[in-house]
Amino acid sequence: MIRLSDIRDSFEGVIPSVIATTSADGVPNISYLSHVHYIDERHVALSNQFFSKTAANVRHRGVATVMVVDGRTGQQHILDLHFLRSVGEGELFERVASHLAVMSVSQGMGDVMKLRSLDIYEVEDCRPVVPVASLAEPEETEPPRDRLYAAGQLCAAIAQQGDAEAMFDCALEGLQTRFGFANAVVLVPDEEGKKLSTIASRGYPAFGFGSEATVGVGTIGTAAAMRRPLRISDMRRGQRYASAVRAEVMRHGPDHIPLPSLAQPRSQLAVPMLSRGRLLGVLFVESEKSFAFSHRDEEALSLVASQLATSLLLAERDRSEAGTPPPATHQPSPAQAAPRIRVRYFPLDGSVFVDDEYIIRGLPGQLLHHFLSVFSKTGRTDFSNREIRRERSLRLPDFKDNLETRLILLRRRLEERGGPLLLSKPERGQIRLECDGLPEIEIATG
Amino acid sequence: MIGADVAAFLESPVMILVSTRNSGHRAFIARGSGARFDRRHGHIDVLLCRGQWPDVAGNAAKGAPIAVTVVRPSDYRAFQVKGVIEEVASISQEEQQRATAYVTRMLEIMAELGVTKVQLSHTLTDKDLVRISFLPTDLFAQTPGPDAGQRLEQAAQR
Repeated sequence: MIRLSDIRDSFEGVIPSVIATTSADGVPNISYLSHVHYIDERHVALSNQFFSKTAANVRHRGVATVMVVDGRTGQQHILDLHFLRSVGEGELFERVASHLAVMSVSQGMGDVMKLRSLDIYEVEDCRPVVPVASLAEPEETEPPRDRLYAAGQLCAAIAQQGDAEAMFDCALEGLQTRFGFANAVVLVPDEEGKKLSTIASRGYPAFGFGSEATVGVGTIGTAAAMRRPLRISDMRRGQRYASAVRAEVMRHGPDHIPLPSLAQPRSQLAVPMLSRGRLLGVLFVESEKSFAFSHRDEEALSLVASQLATSLLLAERDRSEAGTPPPATHQPSPAQAAPRIRVRYFPLDGSVFVDDEYIIRGLPGQLLHHFLSVFSKTGRTDFSNREIRRERSLRLPDFKDNLETRLILLRRRLEERGGPLLLSKPERGQIRLECDGLPEIEIATG
Repeated sequence: MIGADVAAFLESPVMILVSTRNSGHRAFIARGSGARFDRRHGHIDVLLCRGQWPDVAGNAAKGAPIAVTVVRPSDYRAFQVKGVIEEVASISQEEQQRATAYVTRMLEIMAELGVTKVQLSHTLTDKDLVRISFLPTDLFAQTPGPDAGQRLEQAAQR
């Protein structure tokens, strides 16, 4: 019997599986079914959605035969199944239900694929379907990488990093060098958990720092909302969905920074970064090739995302303990002739526009406004994390846990924009505002 | 039993699934390499590769029950026909040509949908074929969705 773990990519795939059963009066029945779910080496689960005839046959005969297909290679395997039980709740049911919901959203099918019950089967045999004559030679493929080794190495490298920013860069560099994933993005959630902002990216013409994905929309947003990895192997099969994603990417507006994105992605994989039950971000990779990411890649990236989340959480905690108040450094007051920097701040959502260009919103926007206000009033340019944390005017909930990422986001966004405002990090736990002009702050009420 | 529209549908470029069962009532799975409605005798002929699908071919015998599901790849519109096998036979030269044309046409259609020849190498073949002729007794809608499995026709003799 073929080991089910050796044909892992044939489960929950894009090519429909086939199921055959026999009725009480001995007549065979054959139909497609959306997914066969891998449970372990001896068990699979079938999502019971539409095929009532099949369900009735299984209840009567207790057996079913299933064929699963590897979407990348087309290889087929036959599984002889013996029905064990049907479940309508529990951990496994919830896991499959959320996977189906993710897949149905990703295929633009709404809640058509809502799970009613889950049938658990023992696998009595698994054998390959051997073609008698091949139509074409298999494509040359790279030898498979040892993903567990690569993930282990990358996790160790991330754990070596002293601060959050270095962790992000280390993770993205490792994804390229150790996994060959050239296009990757890390996004972090905002305070309300409604948007995710790009904090690190690699492999795109622009970094797109501060660009946003909406939670619940697109591959990234859906993975965040469901807190489950979402892997799309062939985006041509979900065109409506792909169109929706594109619409999100291409949405124009005054407060829009384009998300780093391939023009024609075929494969995408988004993995939530979870630690202690909290969503700290999403790790996202994409490719112009179909079937670029396998189940093994998904598992490996889940390890990397967990390491990143935990290291990030520890770095935040570490930072909240550190950072002495800085000496009161002042920038010489800009001469009256210095160029004016027009700053508009919207307290409603914390968004900041500089010289009519959208910069950032939310907590990073509030922080930028705070720095600029203090600088305008006192000329002070240096701030400590500890001091910011105690600043009551910011009125920030759960502040100590996400200050570091907000500051990185803000600093990178300003740096990518290239002035006249910049943030630097003179010492651990300290921030310096570099202001090439005289800010004129307008509080907007709209 | 089989109207003109269903006959035309099963002779159009559709993917074909075939099932027969053994004496222990375990059903088996095969993919077909072309189907045709014999309007004169009211039979459906389905071709499949004996070597690739030994379980289905081995359990196909005169008098045995059979199920065939045909699906259009572009929109998943599907029917399932059930019936009783009348004959299992080697294929004629004309049937061989029809199978080759079927495989060629399906490769073109699937290529338009982004499925490569390599991926279909395990699915489509015009080699080592056998013809199974059966008398249809039941017709069901099989398009995925809440109406899948709904009976459309039933032969009077059953």
